Amino acid sequence: MRDLVKRLTGTAFYRSIFRHGFADTNRNRSLAVFTNFFLHIHAVKVRRRAIAFRRTGYLGGLSAACFFILLVTGILLMFYYRPSVPEAYHDMKDLQFVVSAGVFLRNLHRWSAHAMVALVLAHMAVTFFRGAYRPPREFNWVIGVFLMLATVLLSYTGYLLPWDQLAYWAVTVGTNMAEAAPIVGAKLKLLLLGGHTINAAALLRFYVLHCVLLPFWLVLGLCVHIWRVRKDGGIYLPPPAPSAATDEDQA
Amino acid sequence: MPLDDDLSSPLSEEELARRRTLTLLGAGALTAAGLGTAVVGYRFFEPNVFYEEDARVGIGRPEEIAPGSVMVLPKKRLYVVRNADGSFYALSSICTHLGCMTRYVPENAQVACPCHGSRFSLEGKVTAGPAPRPLRRLKMSLERGILIVDASQEIPAGQLFKVT
Amino acid sequence: MNEPKTFEVGPGDDARKAPVRVVVVQAEERPAVDAADEPMVMTVPHLLLRELIAFLVISLVLVALALTANAPLEEIANPARTPNPAKAPWYFLGLQELLHYYPPVISGVLLPGLLVVALVVIPYVRINLERPPLAPARRTRALVILWATLTTLVLVSYFTGSQPVWPFIGTLLVVGAGMSVGIAGRSPGRVVSWLRGRSIAFWIFSWFLLTATVLTVIGIFFRGPGWSFTLPWRDGIYY
Repeated sequence: MRDLVKRLTGTAFYRSIFRHGFADTNRNRSLAVFTNFFLHIHAVKVRRRAIAFRRTGYLGGLSAACFFILLVTGILLMFYYRPSVPEAYHDMKDLQFVVSAGVFLRNLHRWSAHAMVALVLAHMAVTFFRGAYRPPREFNWVIGVFLMLATVLLSYTGYLLPWDQLAYWAVTVGTNMAEAAPIVGAKLKLLLLGGHTINAAALLRFYVLHCVLLPFWLVLGLCVHIWRVRKDGGIYLPPPAPSAATDEDQA
Repeated sequence: MPLDDDLSSPLSEEELARRRTLTLLGAGALTAAGLGTAVVGYRFFEPNVFYEEDARVGIGRPEEIAPGSVMVLPKKRLYVVRNADGSFYALSSICTHLGCMTRYVPENAQVACPCHGSRFSLEGKVTAGPAPRPLRRLKMSLERGILIVDASQEIPAGQLFKVT
Repeated sequence: MNEPKTFEVGPGDDARKAPVRVVVVQAEERPAVDAADEPMVMTVPHLLLRELIAFLVISLVLVALALTANAPLEEIANPARTPNPAKAPWYFLGLQELLHYYPPVISGVLLPGLLVVALVVIPYVRINLERPPLAPARRTRALVILWATLTTLVLVSYFTGSQPVWPFIGTLLVVGAGMSVGIAGRSPGRVVSWLRGRSIAFWIFSWFLLTATVLTVIGIFFRGPGWSFTLPWRDGIYY
């Protein structure tokens, strides 16, 4: 099997795409990361302590994984959802009962959304308690706070889209809270809803926010957030114990 | 490869003045463009037409509402009350706390909000709960024999509409 | 492109005419990760495999949930009828519970706004660095300041709230107890010395987390129609 893989990865066709051979030498492993568009956000080598599960619980990565699942399921759901009144609700019924795997995709989207909010909050707490916000990582923490806000806003805008009683009244309470803001409150509510009540204009605005604007900002912020982890020296680690001669933790 | 280094060659006064003027002009133009974009962008998001129901609602003829009764119109979000002396007033049924729809409880002549337990008297005054203001009292009029309630016009509490 | 140049490295004959060039290599901007003598591993396969496994695990968990538990879909939106109770999604229920005690300006705008500002400011404020344990002479003073502050906060939150704000009072007392043990505790045990080393920011953040959790749990499990207090084992969970 190994020989077959080695033969395949040695062909000119393969080498035209991947400029490295099979990852059985450290050089090839380095190249696999270094020359890959998607993978080169990683360093070629990492500290062994940094990748242990008990450091971070992989919470940041898991949040990003949830986001990826949300992107995929969300885009698939968009093929069957019309953001108008009352079609939105009827399309939800369609997805539940008519569309193949519709109920599965919708469930997955909803559960991933709840999971992402929970994981992002846990990631924030763990980052704080580990002290990983301290200089030189201050600005990355700030980016993280805004990513958390974007996550919560994404969840909130998505909540309206099914256009059922749960959605409608949850958003009513939320927009009336926004209206309570001094001076700008009423204007803010008007701009959010595109009207005085939650109607078709509000649904469309929330839809665009949920599917275009906020994901765009989240992806942008996420790229900068991860890039900064690299630039700030990788995952924060407490200084190694003085007697570091022995091997440190093995996950 | 040799670098064409603009930093190493000194500039004449004339050139510096020219650059200053152009920078100023450019900054001014950018500011104007930015402000303009911001204003246009804000007005883009502010709706000019509201595709909403007309705020003015016809609720029937005065003769159809008995004195001393309460007419509950959930779809129009209104309570229309006719006193024993024949005068009318109309209350919005939207709770003033966070916008939930209240319910009329005939047993104790009260209006109750399910969200956080606010209670209003039949005049709209807050009797319990976190609601900050009384229920909105709305302007009424009579046109061609039909009672009209204008949900966009609020009138002071206690004001009544009398049909002559 | 250009003709290849030939370089000759070495000091000139006359050091005054052709002084030796010394190249200064500046330290890298980013913290010297590689300077530490830490064992390193190749990203491929070690890190990548862990990422893959983590992604698989979370996917499996979510898919299992998606296959077994259905997302709710109630009746179509009806502006004329508010369901009882009308609850926000769980991550906003803490806020909705807070609304029960304070008006929307405070609980919906002021406190969340302050929270975001506080979060952003955390890394830039110097009190976040750990402080060494206090000398015995300063312990009493620290305890007095601590409890004076806490009492003020308790009284302010009690009298400005429209209901007795037990969640706030409870969490302030818990954090106060932890801080007191840290300040005044004399035993050399691990717990006490760990508490002693915590910074003020730690306590503030922990208080915020604790309060948010308590408020959210109450909002999810202990609130029913009309936002009345219910017991989940007796009345069920309303959502």
